[in-house]
Amino acid sequence: MDNRAVCADNRFTGRSRSKERVRLLLFLGAVPLVLGISLMLGPAGAGFPDITTEAGKAIVMLRTGRLFMGLITGAALAASGVVFQALLRNPLAEPYVLGVSGGAGLGATISILAGSGLFVTLGLPLVAFVSAIITLTAVYLIASQGSGGQPSVYSLILSGVIVSSICSSIIMFLVSTAGIEGLHSVIWWMLGSLQPVSGGQQFLSAILVVVSLGGIWLISPRLNALSLGREMAHYQGLNADLLIVSGLLLGTILAATAVSLSGMIGFVGLIVPHVMRAMFGPDHRKLVPLASIGGGTFLVFCDAIARSVIAPIEIPVGVITAIAGGPFFLIILQRRMKQAWIS
Amino acid sequence: MTAEALKFSGVSSGYKHRKVLDNVSFTVREGEFVSLIGPNGCGKSTLLKTAASLLKPLGGKVELFGRDVRHIRSSERASLLGVVPQKIDSPMAFTVSEIVMNGRIGSTGIRWAFTPSDLDIVERAMIYTDVASLRDRYFSELSGGEQQRVALAMVLAQEPGMIMLDESISHLDINHRQEVLQILLNLNREKGITVVLVSHDLTLSASISDRFLLMDAGSIVKAGTPQEVLEPTLLSRVYNCDLRVRQDPFTGFLQVSGALDTLRGRRRLGRAVHVIAGGGSGVELYRRLLIEGFEVTTGVLNHLDSDAEAARALHVPAVHEQPFSPVSEANIEKTAAMVDACDCVVVSRVPFGSGNLINLRLAESAIDKGKKVFLSSGIAERDYTEGKAANSLVKGLLERGAVEWDAIQDLMLLLHGNNE
Repeated sequence: MDNRAVCADNRFTGRSRSKERVRLLLFLGAVPLVLGISLMLGPAGAGFPDITTEAGKAIVMLRTGRLFMGLITGAALAASGVVFQALLRNPLAEPYVLGVSGGAGLGATISILAGSGLFVTLGLPLVAFVSAIITLTAVYLIASQGSGGQPSVYSLILSGVIVSSICSSIIMFLVSTAGIEGLHSVIWWMLGSLQPVSGGQQFLSAILVVVSLGGIWLISPRLNALSLGREMAHYQGLNADLLIVSGLLLGTILAATAVSLSGMIGFVGLIVPHVMRAMFGPDHRKLVPLASIGGGTFLVFCDAIARSVIAPIEIPVGVITAIAGGPFFLIILQRRMKQAWIS
Repeated sequence: MTAEALKFSGVSSGYKHRKVLDNVSFTVREGEFVSLIGPNGCGKSTLLKTAASLLKPLGGKVELFGRDVRHIRSSERASLLGVVPQKIDSPMAFTVSEIVMNGRIGSTGIRWAFTPSDLDIVERAMIYTDVASLRDRYFSELSGGEQQRVALAMVLAQEPGMIMLDESISHLDINHRQEVLQILLNLNREKGITVVLVSHDLTLSASISDRFLLMDAGSIVKAGTPQEVLEPTLLSRVYNCDLRVRQDPFTGFLQVSGALDTLRGRRRLGRAVHVIAGGGSGVELYRRLLIEGFEVTTGVLNHLDSDAEAARALHVPAVHEQPFSPVSEANIEKTAAMVDACDCVVVSRVPFGSGNLINLRLAESAIDKGKKVFLSSGIAERDYTEGKAANSLVKGLLERGAVEWDAIQDLMLLLHGNNE
């Protein structure tokens, strides 16, 4: 038997459709399982509480509330990561890199420190969203100036990173000069938590997220074409500039909503899209819904761990997303990156 | 007469601070196979981008199949014109079929999903370009030729009436190039698809094209059959090098061959040329003279001059003088010896001032000794000496048999003529 022929055969690294289908079934089966487990974890102890008692009912209500918050926030973060990575054709892109989260965070910090409790609940999402849009516009304009009209990916990412760090420096400054009470709420908020916000804000956020996700799913086949570059997308009959701007806008709505709901939760927007792409390929028609589901489930699970590992102390969920997600991501990166990005 | 597939009428186009195309007019008729040729940077890619309305014309009108491109919706444009770039790449690990599928994106409108007929078209395009067997392979892991076939399949999936290829095949090896060209020819002959091929391979283009468009410096300088356009003096002028055109005795196709094989016959001329240069005007001269086999000396040069640096790097014997000081007696003698030893003197486009006027005097002494002197034209604009001393010196030289040259290509012909 010719050894060289065998080697050549082994070099075939295309995608296997049957394996992909199995992975998809496993994933979709795991989602309700993980969500169910998350409902059974909490500071009140593991297991499903007895809903015949008042206390049990309250616990279930609390846990479903956090589950809902986690699903919305996680889906929004992951989907905005997918969009930014697709638009910038860069695996490093995510809401934090483009300064969108930083801008939203700055707006939220100002609004927390300045406002009364009432103002915070009603105004926070709005302020976060407006400041995210302002930041993105600034980043876009700076990048466009630098590269003569059409912002290049590199100038977008560079100016995004810089604007982002300016925002976080201002946040630090505000925090260091804040009174003790404001300090506490800002810090807690910055660490990120899925403590349910008001019903009205939840409802509004849910609508924003669902609509934006729908919008992204609509443009998802176009995101595939855009991965060949702006010029090629134009040749294929797309209005590339319109596509990029609307994608950036949708991604920003998602990121700002997530930040206003749950504070600065890192990592989800970066790693969930990568893991999903590695598992199911980069086709955005599949990737957008799968990353949303995956991001939501991942965050819900991290939150369940965060509130139950060293209960009654609650660890900020952002810590868990990084500690639990990081190694997992590195394993995926090492083993399956070829299936996501060309190495 | 068939209809027009692409028509430029007085089109100017370019970028923010740089106009590339200047008043370009031409037509490509439906079903034609046209090669667009011209030296690097002459505006071929700009022309292509303007045709695809990626660049908006600054003036004039571009028509695709009789319609002004400004009024064609982008999705519809994709069904009229497909562009195959030099290379396509995606940072993400898409498979071949996923890449080809992108060709249908323009036709979906606001529909999200591809229809069965879209899938059929994609399948057909993949079969036609022989990439169907690669469908589940990662695009990025294919060879260059396979990738280019996939790119072609993607563009075919647009079902365009015309395909433009932007030097898409020039980096392929001969086997893959033949393969892609064969597909293009079949498309052109069987489906009547108009093809515009931006190409650097004149010989190859001559064997497959109905017509040539020759571009130079942002304009079309000649359009016509291969016989009309592939004309040695025209090509040599446009490409600024010595080119030969002959007919292949077996196929009858025209063959264009470049400077290298003409060079072979001329190696080691054993002729010495002294170059009077300065201010960077000598670099290209040294290069060309050395390539063409001359022995080169140069001087007097300012020690810090970029020509002095170039001469050092190219091992051209040179006489240097300290900057801001008059040329010393010793250096004048040294240079005079060089001039004595050479067969002819070439004066570059160096500006003359009181400091380097001595170089022209040395050229004069060469004429005295019966050597040929070649002066670059337009000395008057570069004369900064008091009382236009350089200009009058040059006039005297010309009267005594010095020859003016304009383009380096002309100078080379003069020098070789001198040789024979």
